[in-house]
Amino acid sequence: MPETYINLVFEDMLSETVLRRLLRCSRVTYGVGFAHNAGGSGWIKKRINDFNRAAQGMPYLVLTDLDTCECAPVLIRQWLDTPKHPNLLFRVAVREVEAWLLGCREAFAAFLGISESRIPTNVDGIADPKAFVVDLARRSRKRDVRVDIVPEEGSMAQVGPAYNERLRLFMEMSWDPAVAKRRSPSLRRAIRALDLFEPALPSSRNRSNC
Amino acid sequence: MIVSHLSLKNWKNFRTVDVPLRSRVFLAGPNASGKSNFLDVFRFLRDIVKRGGGLQQAVAERGGLSQIRCLAARNEPAVEIEAGLAEASGQPPLWRYAVGIQQSRGEASSRLVYERIWNHDGQILDRPDDSDAKDPMRLTQTHLEQISANETFRELARFFDSVSYLHLVPQLVRNPRAFAGPGIPGDPFGQSFLERVASTPPKTRRSRLSKIEKALVSAVPQLKELTDTKDEAGAPHLEAIYEHWRPRGAKQREDQFSDGTLRLIALLWSLLESQSLLLLEEPELSLNAAIIRILPAIIHRLQGKHKRQVLISTHSAELLSDQGIGGEEIFILTPTEEGTKVEVASTIQEVRDLLEIGFTPAEAVIPRTTPQLGAQRWLFDA
Repeated sequence: MPETYINLVFEDMLSETVLRRLLRCSRVTYGVGFAHNAGGSGWIKKRINDFNRAAQGMPYLVLTDLDTCECAPVLIRQWLDTPKHPNLLFRVAVREVEAWLLGCREAFAAFLGISESRIPTNVDGIADPKAFVVDLARRSRKRDVRVDIVPEEGSMAQVGPAYNERLRLFMEMSWDPAVAKRRSPSLRRAIRALDLFEPALPSSRNRSNC
Repeated sequence: MIVSHLSLKNWKNFRTVDVPLRSRVFLAGPNASGKSNFLDVFRFLRDIVKRGGGLQQAVAERGGLSQIRCLAARNEPAVEIEAGLAEASGQPPLWRYAVGIQQSRGEASSRLVYERIWNHDGQILDRPDDSDAKDPMRLTQTHLEQISANETFRELARFFDSVSYLHLVPQLVRNPRAFAGPGIPGDPFGQSFLERVASTPPKTRRSRLSKIEKALVSAVPQLKELTDTKDEAGAPHLEAIYEHWRPRGAKQREDQFSDGTLRLIALLWSLLESQSLLLLEEPELSLNAAIIRILPAIIHRLQGKHKRQVLISTHSAELLSDQGIGGEEIFILTPTEEGTKVEVASTIQEVRDLLEIGFTPAEAVIPRTTPQLGAQRWLFDA
Protein backbone atom coordinates (compact mmCIF):
# COMPACT_ATOMS: atom_id res chain seq x y z
CA MET A 1 0.00 0.00 0.00
CA PRO A 2 1.32 3.45 -0.88
CA GLU A 3 2.10 5.69 2.09
CA THR A 4 1.19 8.86 0.27
CA TYR A 5 -1.20 9.60 -2.57
CA ILE A 6 -0.30 12.52 -4.77
CA ASN A 7 -1.85 14.17 -7.85
CA LEU A 8 0.37 15.01 -10.79
CA VAL A 9 0.28 18.07 -13.01
CA PHE A 10 2.74 18.33 -15.90
CA GLU A 11 3.29 19.90 -19.31
CA ASP A 12 3.38 16.81 -21.52
CA MET A 13 3.76 13.05 -21.60
CA LEU A 14 7.53 13.28 -21.42
CA SER A 15 7.30 15.13 -18.10
CA GLU A 16 4.69 12.64 -16.91
CA THR A 17 7.05 9.75 -17.58
CA VAL A 18 9.80 11.57 -15.63
CA LEU A 19 7.50 12.24 -12.67
CA ARG A 20 6.21 8.69 -12.46
CA ARG A 21 9.76 7.40 -12.59
CA LEU A 22 10.87 9.77 -9.82
CA LEU A 23 7.96 8.65 -7.66
CA ARG A 24 8.83 5.00 -8.18
CA CYS A 25 12.46 5.60 -7.17
CA SER A 26 11.62 7.73 -4.15
CA ARG A 27 12.21 6.72 -0.52
CA VAL A 28 8.52 7.44 0.09
CA THR A 29 6.09 4.92 -1.41
CA TYR A 30 3.84 7.05 -3.56
CA GLY A 31 0.50 6.29 -5.17
CA VAL A 32 -0.72 8.51 -7.98
CA GLY A 33 -4.17 10.04 -7.57
CA PHE A 34 -4.86 11.67 -10.89
CA ALA A 35 -2.48 12.79 -13.58
CA HIS A 36 -3.24 16.02 -15.38
CA ASN A 37 -1.59 16.65 -18.72
CA ALA A 38 -1.74 20.44 -19.03
CA GLY A 39 -0.60 20.57 -22.65
CA GLY A 40 2.11 23.19 -22.03
CA SER A 41 3.11 25.60 -19.31
CA GLY A 42 0.41 28.24 -20.03
CA TRP A 43 -2.38 26.31 -18.37
CA ILE A 44 -0.21 25.39 -15.36
CA LYS A 45 0.62 29.06 -14.86
CA LYS A 46 -3.07 29.96 -15.11
CA ARG A 47 -4.12 27.29 -12.61
CA ILE A 48 -1.17 27.08 -10.21
CA ASN A 49 -2.85 29.24 -7.57
CA ASP A 50 -5.93 27.05 -7.71
CA PHE A 51 -3.77 23.98 -7.24
CA ASN A 52 -2.12 25.72 -4.30
CA ARG A 53 -5.57 26.02 -2.73
CA ALA A 54 -6.59 22.49 -3.68
CA ALA A 55 -3.38 21.25 -2.01
CA GLN A 56 -5.06 21.83 1.35
CA GLY A 57 -7.08 18.70 0.66
CA MET A 58 -4.53 16.55 -1.13
CA PRO A 59 -0.87 16.73 -2.17
CA TYR A 60 0.01 17.91 -5.66
CA LEU A 61 3.24 17.47 -7.54
CA VAL A 62 3.55 20.06 -10.30
CA LEU A 63 6.41 20.03 -12.79
CA THR A 64 7.06 22.80 -15.24
CA ASP A 65 10.02 23.89 -17.36
CA LEU A 66 11.97 27.00 -16.41
CA ASP A 67 12.39 27.82 -20.11
CA THR A 68 13.66 31.40 -20.42
CA CYS A 69 12.78 32.58 -16.92
CA GLU A 70 15.69 33.80 -14.83
CA CYS A 71 15.68 31.08 -12.17
CA ALA A 72 13.28 28.73 -10.41
CA PRO A 73 12.65 30.83 -7.26
CA VAL A 74 11.80 33.83 -9.45
CA LEU A 75 9.36 31.77 -11.52
CA ILE A 76 7.66 30.42 -8.38
CA ARG A 77 7.42 33.91 -6.88
CA GLN A 78 5.98 35.29 -10.09
CA TRP A 79 3.41 32.52 -10.49
CA LEU A 80 2.15 32.13 -6.91
CA ASP A 81 -0.02 34.90 -5.40
CA THR A 82 0.01 33.41 -1.91
CA PRO A 83 2.62 31.44 0.04
CA LYS A 84 3.09 27.90 -1.22
CA HIS A 85 1.07 25.32 0.70
CA PRO A 86 3.35 22.56 2.06
CA ASN A 87 1.29 19.97 0.14
CA LEU A 88 2.15 21.62 -3.15
CA LEU A 89 5.40 20.23 -4.50
CA PHE A 90 6.15 22.75 -7.20
CA ARG A 91 9.23 21.63 -9.13
CA VAL A 92 10.91 23.45 -11.97
CA ALA A 93 13.18 21.67 -14.46
CA VAL A 94 16.15 23.84 -15.46
CA ARG A 95 15.67 24.75 -18.19
CA GLU A 96 13.62 21.91 -19.62
CA VAL A 97 12.91 18.36 -18.54
CA GLU A 98 15.19 17.11 -21.35
CA ALA A 99 18.14 18.37 -19.28
CA TRP A 100 17.23 15.79 -16.62
CA LEU A 101 17.46 13.08 -19.26
CA LEU A 102 20.79 14.40 -20.53
CA GLY A 103 22.11 14.13 -16.97
CA CYS A 104 22.48 10.39 -17.58
CA ARG A 105 25.32 11.25 -19.94
CA GLU A 106 26.70 7.84 -20.71
CA ALA A 107 23.33 6.14 -21.27
CA PHE A 108 21.92 9.06 -23.24
CA ALA A 109 24.96 9.20 -25.51
CA ALA A 110 24.68 5.46 -26.17
CA PHE A 111 20.97 5.82 -26.85
CA LEU A 112 21.54 8.63 -29.35
CA GLY A 113 24.62 7.05 -30.89
CA ILE A 114 26.95 9.99 -30.21
CA SER A 115 30.09 10.64 -28.21
CA GLU A 116 29.55 11.22 -24.47
CA SER A 117 31.90 14.20 -24.55
CA ARG A 118 29.30 16.18 -26.49
CA ILE A 119 27.08 16.36 -23.41
CA PRO A 120 28.19 19.01 -20.86
CA THR A 121 28.74 18.00 -17.25
CA ASN A 122 26.32 20.58 -15.88
CA VAL A 123 23.15 19.96 -17.88
CA ASP A 124 21.21 22.69 -16.05
CA GLY A 125 23.48 25.15 -17.86
CA ILE A 126 22.15 24.19 -21.33
CA ALA A 127 20.16 27.17 -22.65
CA ASP A 128 17.66 25.23 -24.78
CA PRO A 129 17.81 21.51 -23.94
CA LYS A 130 15.18 20.48 -26.51
CA ALA A 131 17.09 22.09 -29.38
CA PHE A 132 20.28 20.66 -27.88
CA VAL A 133 18.89 17.09 -27.99
CA VAL A 134 17.78 17.61 -31.60
CA ASP A 135 21.24 18.90 -32.51
CA LEU A 136 22.88 15.93 -30.85
CA ALA A 137 20.59 13.55 -32.73
CA ARG A 138 21.60 15.20 -35.99
CA ARG A 139 25.08 13.79 -35.40
CA SER A 140 23.81 10.35 -34.53
CA ARG A 141 25.34 7.30 -36.16
CA LYS A 142 21.88 5.68 -36.11
CA ARG A 143 19.59 6.57 -39.00
CA ASP A 144 16.42 5.65 -37.05
CA VAL A 145 17.32 8.05 -34.28
CA ARG A 146 17.92 10.85 -36.77
CA VAL A 147 14.62 10.44 -38.63
CA ASP A 148 12.62 10.13 -35.39
CA ILE A 149 14.18 12.97 -33.41
CA VAL A 150 15.30 15.51 -36.04
CA PRO A 151 12.62 17.39 -37.99
CA GLU A 152 12.70 16.93 -41.74
CA GLU A 153 14.53 19.59 -43.67
CA GLY A 154 12.26 22.55 -44.37
CA SER A 155 9.83 21.55 -41.62
CA MET A 156 8.45 24.13 -39.21
CA ALA A 157 8.38 21.50 -36.44
CA GLN A 158 10.91 22.00 -33.65
CA VAL A 159 11.38 18.30 -33.06
CA GLY A 160 11.12 15.17 -35.17
CA PRO A 161 7.94 13.13 -35.63
CA ALA A 162 8.65 10.53 -32.91
CA TYR A 163 10.73 12.74 -30.60
CA ASN A 164 8.64 12.28 -27.46
CA GLU A 165 8.03 8.58 -27.98
CA ARG A 166 11.77 7.90 -28.47
CA LEU A 167 12.72 9.87 -25.38
CA ARG A 168 10.03 8.14 -23.34
CA LEU A 169 11.43 4.81 -24.47
CA PHE A 170 14.92 5.87 -23.36
CA MET A 171 13.54 6.88 -20.01
CA GLU A 172 11.82 3.58 -19.40
CA MET A 173 14.75 1.49 -20.54
CA SER A 174 17.93 3.28 -19.52
CA TRP A 175 17.36 6.46 -17.51
CA ASP A 176 18.67 6.38 -13.95
CA PRO A 177 17.66 9.38 -11.84
CA ALA A 178 20.36 8.59 -9.29
CA VAL A 179 23.01 9.07 -11.97
CA ALA A 180 21.30 12.00 -13.67
CA LYS A 181 20.98 14.03 -10.49
CA ARG A 182 24.77 14.31 -10.23
CA ARG A 183 24.73 16.51 -13.35
CA SER A 184 21.55 18.44 -12.61
CA PRO A 185 21.05 20.46 -9.41
CA SER A 186 17.37 21.05 -10.26
CA LEU A 187 16.76 17.29 -10.53
CA ARG A 188 18.70 16.71 -7.29
CA ARG A 189 16.47 19.17 -5.47
CA ALA A 190 13.31 17.60 -6.91
CA ILE A 191 14.36 14.10 -5.81
CA ARG A 192 15.25 15.41 -2.36
CA ALA A 193 11.87 17.11 -2.00
CA LEU A 194 10.09 13.87 -2.90
CA ASP A 195 12.26 11.85 -0.47
CA LEU A 196 11.53 14.19 2.43
CA PHE A 197 7.89 14.92 1.72
CA GLU A 198 5.32 14.35 4.43
CA PRO A 199 1.79 15.50 3.63
CA ALA A 200 0.30 18.12 5.93
CA LEU A 201 -3.11 16.96 7.09
CA PRO A 202 -6.12 19.14 6.28
CA SER A 203 -6.76 21.62 9.08
CA SER A 204 -10.18 20.13 9.87
CA ARG A 205 -8.61 16.75 10.58
CA ASN A 206 -5.98 18.32 12.83
CA ARG A 207 -8.72 19.62 15.05
CA SER A 208 -9.68 16.10 16.07
CA ASN A 209 -6.69 16.20 18.47
CA CYS A 210 -8.49 18.74 20.66
CA MET B 1 -40.56 11.19 -17.30
CA ILE B 2 -36.92 10.42 -16.70
CA VAL B 3 -34.98 7.48 -15.34
CA SER B 4 -34.07 8.93 -11.96
CA HIS B 5 -32.30 5.95 -10.52
CA LEU B 6 -30.48 2.90 -11.84
CA SER B 7 -29.08 -0.16 -10.11
CA LEU B 8 -27.29 -2.92 -11.94
CA LYS B 9 -25.78 -6.22 -10.95
CA ASN B 10 -23.55 -8.24 -13.25
CA TRP B 11 -24.49 -6.22 -16.33
CA LYS B 12 -21.63 -6.41 -18.83
CA ASN B 13 -18.66 -4.38 -17.47
CA PHE B 14 -20.42 -3.67 -14.19
CA ARG B 15 -20.69 -5.92 -11.16
CA THR B 16 -22.66 -3.37 -9.21
CA VAL B 17 -23.94 0.06 -10.09
CA ASP B 18 -26.19 2.27 -8.01
CA VAL B 19 -26.60 5.82 -9.26
CA PRO B 20 -29.12 8.65 -9.30
CA LEU B 21 -29.62 10.17 -12.76
CA ARG B 22 -30.41 13.76 -13.72
CA SER B 23 -32.14 14.86 -16.88
CA ARG B 24 -28.73 15.29 -18.49
CA VAL B 25 -25.96 12.77 -17.81
CA PHE B 26 -22.45 12.71 -19.25
CA LEU B 27 -20.55 9.42 -19.16
CA ALA B 28 -16.78 9.84 -19.08
CA GLY B 29 -14.27 7.02 -19.00
CA PRO B 30 -11.33 5.50 -20.86
CA ASN B 31 -11.78 3.30 -23.92
CA ALA B 32 -13.55 0.00 -23.19
CA SER B 33 -14.63 1.12 -19.73
CA GLY B 34 -18.26 0.39 -20.59
CA LYS B 35 -19.84 3.69 -21.61
CA SER B 36 -21.75 2.08 -24.48
CA ASN B 37 -22.64 -0.90 -22.30
CA PHE B 38 -24.08 1.47 -19.72
CA LEU B 39 -26.29 3.00 -22.42
CA ASP B 40 -27.16 -0.50 -23.61
CA VAL B 41 -29.17 -1.17 -20.43
CA PHE B 42 -31.79 1.25 -21.69
CA ARG B 43 -31.74 -0.22 -25.17
CA PHE B 44 -32.16 -3.66 -23.59
CA LEU B 45 -35.27 -2.52 -21.73
CA ARG B 46 -36.57 -1.07 -24.98
CA ASP B 47 -35.84 -4.33 -26.80
CA ILE B 48 -37.92 -6.19 -24.21
CA VAL B 49 -41.02 -4.05 -24.79
CA LYS B 50 -40.76 -3.12 -28.46
CA ARG B 51 -43.01 -4.70 -31.07
CA GLY B 52 -41.47 -7.98 -32.18
CA GLY B 53 -39.15 -7.85 -29.20
CA GLY B 54 -39.37 -9.58 -25.85
CA LEU B 55 -36.98 -10.83 -23.21
CA GLN B 56 -35.71 -13.80 -25.24
CA GLN B 57 -35.14 -11.65 -28.32
CA ALA B 58 -33.37 -8.93 -26.31
CA VAL B 59 -31.03 -11.50 -24.75
CA ALA B 60 -30.45 -13.33 -28.05
CA GLU B 61 -29.58 -10.10 -29.88
CA ARG B 62 -26.78 -9.66 -27.37
CA GLY B 63 -25.41 -13.14 -27.91
CA GLY B 64 -27.08 -14.85 -24.92
CA LEU B 65 -26.95 -14.15 -21.22
CA SER B 66 -23.37 -15.40 -20.96
CA GLN B 67 -22.36 -12.42 -23.14
CA ILE B 68 -24.33 -10.01 -21.00
CA ARG B 69 -23.16 -11.27 -17.64
CA CYS B 70 -20.20 -9.41 -16.16
CA LEU B 71 -16.88 -11.19 -16.71
CA ALA B 72 -15.87 -10.31 -13.17
CA ALA B 73 -18.89 -12.20 -11.80
CA ARG B 74 -18.41 -15.70 -10.44
CA ASN B 75 -20.73 -18.72 -10.31
CA GLU B 76 -23.11 -17.49 -13.00
CA PRO B 77 -25.20 -15.17 -10.87
CA ALA B 78 -28.35 -13.47 -12.17
CA VAL B 79 -28.14 -10.30 -14.21
CA GLU B 80 -30.18 -7.70 -12.36
CA ILE B 81 -31.56 -4.35 -13.49
CA GLU B 82 -33.60 -1.90 -11.46
CA ALA B 83 -34.78 1.42 -12.85
CA GLY B 84 -36.68 4.12 -11.00
CA LEU B 85 -38.73 6.60 -13.03
CA ALA B 86 -39.72 10.09 -11.89
CA GLU B 87 -41.32 13.15 -13.44
CA ALA B 88 -38.06 15.11 -13.17
CA SER B 89 -34.65 15.16 -11.45
CA GLY B 90 -34.89 15.05 -7.68
CA GLN B 91 -38.58 14.12 -7.61
CA PRO B 92 -39.98 11.03 -5.87
CA PRO B 93 -40.21 7.94 -8.09
CA LEU B 94 -43.47 7.26 -9.92
CA TRP B 95 -42.42 3.82 -11.07
CA ARG B 96 -39.83 1.27 -10.15
CA TYR B 97 -39.09 -1.74 -12.34
CA ALA B 98 -36.80 -4.54 -11.20
CA VAL B 99 -35.85 -7.64 -13.10
CA GLY B 100 -33.44 -10.50 -12.44
CA ILE B 101 -32.50 -12.81 -15.33
CA GLN B 102 -30.74 -16.13 -15.21
CA GLN B 103 -29.53 -18.66 -17.74
CA SER B 104 -27.42 -21.59 -16.70
CA ARG B 105 -25.10 -23.49 -18.99
CA GLY B 106 -27.11 -25.89 -21.10
CA GLU B 107 -30.39 -24.00 -20.73
CA ALA B 108 -31.89 -23.07 -24.08
CA SER B 109 -33.52 -19.86 -22.94
CA SER B 110 -33.03 -17.35 -20.20
CA ARG B 111 -35.59 -17.08 -17.43
CA LEU B 112 -36.75 -14.58 -14.90
CA VAL B 113 -35.49 -14.96 -11.37
CA TYR B 114 -37.89 -12.20 -10.43
CA GLU B 115 -39.85 -9.35 -11.93
CA ARG B 116 -41.15 -6.62 -9.64
CA ILE B 117 -42.98 -3.37 -10.24
CA TRP B 118 -43.89 -0.58 -7.88
CA ASN B 119 -45.94 2.54 -8.54
CA HIS B 120 -46.39 5.44 -6.13
CA ASP B 121 -48.84 3.35 -4.07
CA GLY B 122 -46.55 0.39 -3.57
CA GLN B 123 -45.72 -2.92 -5.16
CA ILE B 124 -48.11 -4.02 -7.91
CA LEU B 125 -46.22 -6.97 -9.37
CA ASP B 126 -44.20 -9.65 -7.64
CA ARG B 127 -43.09 -12.58 -9.70
CA PRO B 128 -42.63 -15.51 -9.57
CA ASP B 129 -46.23 -15.86 -8.45
CA ASP B 130 -48.53 -18.89 -8.13
CA SER B 131 -49.16 -19.12 -11.86
CA ASP B 132 -45.41 -19.09 -12.53
CA ALA B 133 -44.99 -21.90 -10.02
CA LYS B 134 -47.53 -24.00 -11.92
CA ASP B 135 -46.07 -23.23 -15.33
CA PRO B 136 -42.35 -22.33 -15.20
CA MET B 137 -42.40 -21.61 -18.97
CA ARG B 138 -44.09 -18.33 -18.06
CA LEU B 139 -40.80 -17.17 -16.60
CA THR B 140 -39.30 -16.95 -20.10
CA GLN B 141 -41.35 -13.80 -20.68
CA THR B 142 -41.70 -10.60 -18.73
CA HIS B 143 -45.11 -9.19 -17.97
CA LEU B 144 -43.76 -5.89 -19.17
CA GLU B 145 -43.64 -7.17 -22.75
CA GLN B 146 -47.15 -8.68 -22.72
CA ILE B 147 -50.04 -6.45 -23.64
CA SER B 148 -52.42 -8.86 -21.93
CA ALA B 149 -50.50 -8.56 -18.66
CA ASN B 150 -49.18 -5.01 -18.59
CA GLU B 151 -52.41 -3.03 -18.53
CA THR B 152 -51.79 -1.56 -15.09
CA PHE B 153 -48.26 -0.50 -15.94
CA ARG B 154 -48.47 0.21 -19.65
CA GLU B 155 -47.12 3.71 -19.07
CA LEU B 156 -43.88 2.09 -17.94
CA ALA B 157 -43.74 -0.14 -21.03
CA ARG B 158 -44.42 2.85 -23.29
CA PHE B 159 -41.61 4.79 -21.65
CA PHE B 160 -39.07 2.07 -22.32
CA ASP B 161 -40.42 1.57 -25.83
CA SER B 162 -39.76 5.19 -26.74
CA VAL B 163 -36.08 5.19 -25.77
CA SER B 164 -33.96 6.24 -28.73
CA TYR B 165 -30.28 5.84 -29.43
CA LEU B 166 -28.06 7.73 -31.85
CA HIS B 167 -24.61 6.88 -33.06
CA LEU B 168 -24.84 8.19 -36.59
CA VAL B 169 -22.43 6.81 -39.17
CA PRO B 170 -22.34 9.38 -42.01
CA GLN B 171 -21.32 6.76 -44.59
CA LEU B 172 -24.52 4.82 -43.87
CA VAL B 173 -26.67 7.90 -44.35
CA ARG B 174 -25.00 8.75 -47.63
CA ASN B 175 -25.06 5.22 -49.03
CA PRO B 176 -27.91 3.37 -47.33
CA ARG B 177 -28.12 0.91 -50.22
CA ALA B 178 -24.45 0.09 -50.28
CA PHE B 179 -24.90 -1.82 -47.05
CA ALA B 180 -27.33 -4.54 -48.00
CA GLY B 181 -29.10 -6.68 -45.47
CA PRO B 182 -32.07 -6.40 -43.19
CA GLY B 183 -30.73 -3.33 -41.39
CA ILE B 184 -30.01 -3.16 -37.69
CA PRO B 185 -33.00 -3.17 -35.35
CA GLY B 186 -33.81 0.33 -34.12
CA ASP B 187 -31.56 1.87 -36.77
CA PRO B 188 -28.94 3.07 -34.29
CA PHE B 189 -26.46 4.14 -36.98
CA GLY B 190 -28.80 6.20 -39.12
CA GLN B 191 -29.12 3.93 -42.15
CA SER B 192 -32.78 4.89 -42.52
CA PHE B 193 -32.36 8.38 -41.11
CA LEU B 194 -33.51 9.99 -44.37
CA GLU B 195 -36.63 7.82 -44.44
CA ARG B 196 -37.38 8.83 -40.88
CA VAL B 197 -37.17 12.47 -41.88
CA ALA B 198 -39.34 11.86 -44.97
CA SER B 199 -42.03 9.99 -43.04
CA THR B 200 -42.51 12.84 -40.56
CA PRO B 201 -45.67 14.88 -41.18
CA PRO B 202 -44.81 17.81 -43.52
CA LYS B 203 -45.53 20.62 -41.06
CA THR B 204 -43.44 19.10 -38.27
CA ARG B 205 -40.71 18.21 -40.73
CA ARG B 206 -40.45 21.74 -42.10
CA SER B 207 -40.46 23.23 -38.64
CA ARG B 208 -37.66 20.95 -37.48
CA LEU B 209 -35.55 21.44 -40.59
CA SER B 210 -35.91 25.19 -40.29
CA LYS B 211 -34.77 25.03 -36.65
CA ILE B 212 -31.83 22.88 -37.68
CA GLU B 213 -30.95 25.29 -40.47
CA LYS B 214 -30.82 28.14 -37.97
CA ALA B 215 -28.58 26.12 -35.70
CA LEU B 216 -26.33 25.27 -38.63
CA VAL B 217 -25.81 28.94 -39.50
CA SER B 218 -23.03 29.31 -36.97
CA ALA B 219 -21.47 25.90 -37.56
CA VAL B 220 -21.62 25.72 -41.35
CA PRO B 221 -22.31 29.30 -42.51
CA GLN B 222 -22.09 28.38 -46.22
CA LEU B 223 -25.11 26.09 -45.92
CA LYS B 224 -28.56 27.64 -46.54
CA GLU B 225 -32.15 26.53 -47.12
CA LEU B 226 -32.07 23.01 -45.72
CA THR B 227 -35.01 21.06 -47.13
CA ASP B 228 -35.94 17.50 -47.90
CA THR B 229 -36.68 16.22 -51.35
CA LYS B 230 -37.16 13.00 -53.31
CA ASP B 231 -35.30 11.78 -56.35
CA GLU B 232 -36.86 10.23 -59.50
CA ALA B 233 -36.86 6.82 -57.85
CA GLY B 234 -38.71 8.22 -54.85
CA ALA B 235 -35.77 7.91 -52.45
CA PRO B 236 -35.69 10.65 -49.80
CA HIS B 237 -32.84 13.17 -49.62
CA LEU B 238 -31.78 16.24 -47.73
CA GLU B 239 -30.86 19.23 -49.81
CA ALA B 240 -29.29 22.60 -49.12
CA ILE B 241 -27.82 25.53 -51.00
CA TYR B 242 -24.09 25.61 -50.65
CA GLU B 243 -22.91 29.18 -51.18
CA HIS B 244 -19.69 29.83 -53.00
CA TRP B 245 -18.32 32.40 -55.43
CA ARG B 246 -21.16 31.91 -57.93
CA PRO B 247 -24.00 34.33 -57.19
CA ARG B 248 -26.70 31.68 -56.62
CA GLY B 249 -24.69 28.96 -54.95
CA ALA B 250 -25.15 25.29 -55.76
CA LYS B 251 -27.63 22.72 -54.54
CA GLN B 252 -26.07 19.91 -52.59
CA ARG B 253 -27.51 16.66 -51.35
CA GLU B 254 -26.59 14.78 -48.21
CA ASP B 255 -24.08 12.67 -50.12
CA GLN B 256 -22.03 15.85 -50.53
CA PHE B 257 -22.46 17.10 -46.97
CA SER B 258 -19.42 16.75 -44.74
CA ASP B 259 -19.37 14.13 -41.96
CA GLY B 260 -19.64 16.87 -39.38
CA THR B 261 -22.62 18.53 -41.08
CA LEU B 262 -24.48 15.23 -41.35
CA ARG B 263 -23.80 14.28 -37.76
CA LEU B 264 -24.89 17.68 -36.53
CA ILE B 265 -28.12 17.52 -38.55
CA ALA B 266 -28.92 14.05 -37.21
CA LEU B 267 -28.05 15.09 -33.66
CA LEU B 268 -30.34 18.10 -33.80
CA TRP B 269 -33.10 16.08 -35.47
CA SER B 270 -32.92 13.43 -32.73
CA LEU B 271 -33.09 16.09 -30.04
CA LEU B 272 -36.19 17.58 -31.68
CA GLU B 273 -37.76 14.23 -32.55
CA SER B 274 -39.37 13.06 -29.34
CA GLN B 275 -39.82 13.75 -25.67
CA SER B 276 -38.41 10.53 -24.27
CA LEU B 277 -35.03 9.28 -23.19
CA LEU B 278 -32.33 9.85 -25.80
CA LEU B 279 -28.97 8.07 -25.72
CA LEU B 280 -26.19 9.88 -27.57
CA GLU B 281 -22.97 8.11 -28.37
CA GLU B 282 -19.99 10.48 -28.60
CA PRO B 283 -21.83 13.45 -30.16
CA GLU B 284 -18.50 15.26 -30.50
CA LEU B 285 -17.28 13.08 -33.40
CA SER B 286 -16.32 15.00 -36.57
CA LEU B 287 -17.21 18.34 -35.02
CA ASN B 288 -14.99 21.37 -34.60
CA ALA B 289 -13.90 22.09 -31.02
CA ALA B 290 -15.79 25.39 -30.93
CA ILE B 291 -19.06 23.63 -31.84
CA ILE B 292 -18.42 20.87 -29.29
CA ARG B 293 -18.05 23.46 -26.54
CA ILE B 294 -21.59 24.73 -27.12
CA LEU B 295 -23.17 21.26 -27.48
CA PRO B 296 -24.12 20.98 -23.79
CA ALA B 297 -26.03 24.26 -24.04
CA ILE B 298 -27.70 23.15 -27.30
CA ILE B 299 -28.73 19.87 -25.67
CA HIS B 300 -30.05 21.74 -22.66
CA ARG B 301 -32.13 24.12 -24.80
CA LEU B 302 -33.54 21.35 -26.96
CA GLN B 303 -34.42 19.15 -23.98
CA GLY B 304 -37.55 21.25 -23.95
CA LYS B 305 -39.86 22.41 -21.22
CA HIS B 306 -40.39 18.92 -19.89
CA LYS B 307 -36.68 18.32 -19.60
CA ARG B 308 -36.52 15.27 -21.75
CA GLN B 309 -33.65 13.08 -20.55
CA VAL B 310 -30.43 12.80 -22.55
CA LEU B 311 -27.56 10.44 -21.70
CA ILE B 312 -24.31 11.25 -23.46
CA SER B 313 -21.13 9.19 -23.70
CA THR B 314 -18.04 11.27 -24.41
CA HIS B 315 -14.27 11.39 -24.63
CA SER B 316 -14.23 15.11 -25.22
CA ALA B 317 -12.59 17.59 -22.88
CA GLU B 318 -14.20 20.37 -24.93
CA LEU B 319 -17.68 18.99 -24.30
CA LEU B 320 -17.06 18.88 -20.55
CA SER B 321 -15.42 22.30 -20.43
CA ASP B 322 -18.85 23.96 -20.10
CA GLN B 323 -19.11 25.30 -16.56
CA GLY B 324 -22.88 24.90 -16.77
CA ILE B 325 -22.38 21.16 -16.33
CA GLY B 326 -22.71 20.15 -12.69
CA GLY B 327 -20.62 17.46 -11.02
CA GLU B 328 -23.87 15.59 -10.34
CA GLU B 329 -24.41 15.31 -14.12
CA ILE B 330 -21.13 13.51 -14.80
CA PHE B 331 -20.53 9.81 -14.24
CA ILE B 332 -16.93 8.68 -14.10
CA LEU B 333 -16.40 5.10 -15.27
CA THR B 334 -13.25 3.50 -13.91
CA PRO B 335 -12.27 -0.04 -14.91
CA THR B 336 -11.09 -2.22 -12.02
CA GLU B 337 -10.36 -5.92 -11.72
CA GLU B 338 -13.80 -6.33 -10.19
CA GLY B 339 -15.57 -4.69 -13.11
CA THR B 340 -16.08 -1.04 -13.94
CA LYS B 341 -16.93 1.34 -11.12
CA VAL B 342 -19.47 4.10 -11.83
CA GLU B 343 -19.21 7.20 -9.65
CA VAL B 344 -21.13 10.44 -9.78
CA ALA B 345 -18.36 13.04 -10.09
CA SER B 346 -19.82 15.28 -7.38
CA THR B 347 -19.54 12.47 -4.82
CA ILE B 348 -15.74 12.45 -5.16
CA GLN B 349 -14.35 14.92 -2.65
CA GLU B 350 -11.36 15.95 -4.76
CA VAL B 351 -13.52 16.65 -7.80
CA ARG B 352 -15.83 18.75 -5.61
CA ASP B 353 -12.83 20.67 -4.29
CA LEU B 354 -11.58 21.43 -7.79
CA LEU B 355 -15.04 22.44 -9.05
CA GLU B 356 -15.55 24.72 -6.06
CA ILE B 357 -12.21 26.40 -6.68
CA GLY B 358 -13.38 27.17 -10.21
CA PHE B 359 -11.93 24.40 -12.35
CA THR B 360 -14.07 23.39 -15.31
CA PRO B 361 -15.73 19.95 -15.18
CA ALA B 362 -13.27 18.82 -17.85
CA GLU B 363 -10.28 19.94 -15.79
CA ALA B 364 -11.61 18.17 -12.72
CA VAL B 365 -12.77 14.99 -14.43
CA ILE B 366 -10.79 14.22 -17.59
CA PRO B 367 -7.49 13.48 -15.77
CA ARG B 368 -9.33 10.68 -13.96
CA THR B 369 -10.40 9.10 -17.23
CA THR B 370 -7.07 9.39 -19.05
CA PRO B 371 -5.21 6.11 -19.43
CA GLN B 372 -1.58 6.00 -18.38
CA LEU B 373 0.34 5.16 -21.51
CA GLY B 374 3.80 3.70 -21.17
CA ALA B 375 6.41 4.18 -23.89
CA GLN B 376 5.30 2.46 -27.09
CA ARG B 377 8.17 0.01 -27.44
CA TRP B 378 6.59 -1.84 -30.33
CA LEU B 379 7.00 1.28 -32.48
CA PHE B 380 10.76 0.91 -32.31
CA ASP B 381 11.09 -2.85 -32.63
CA ALA B 382 12.88 -3.32 -35.90
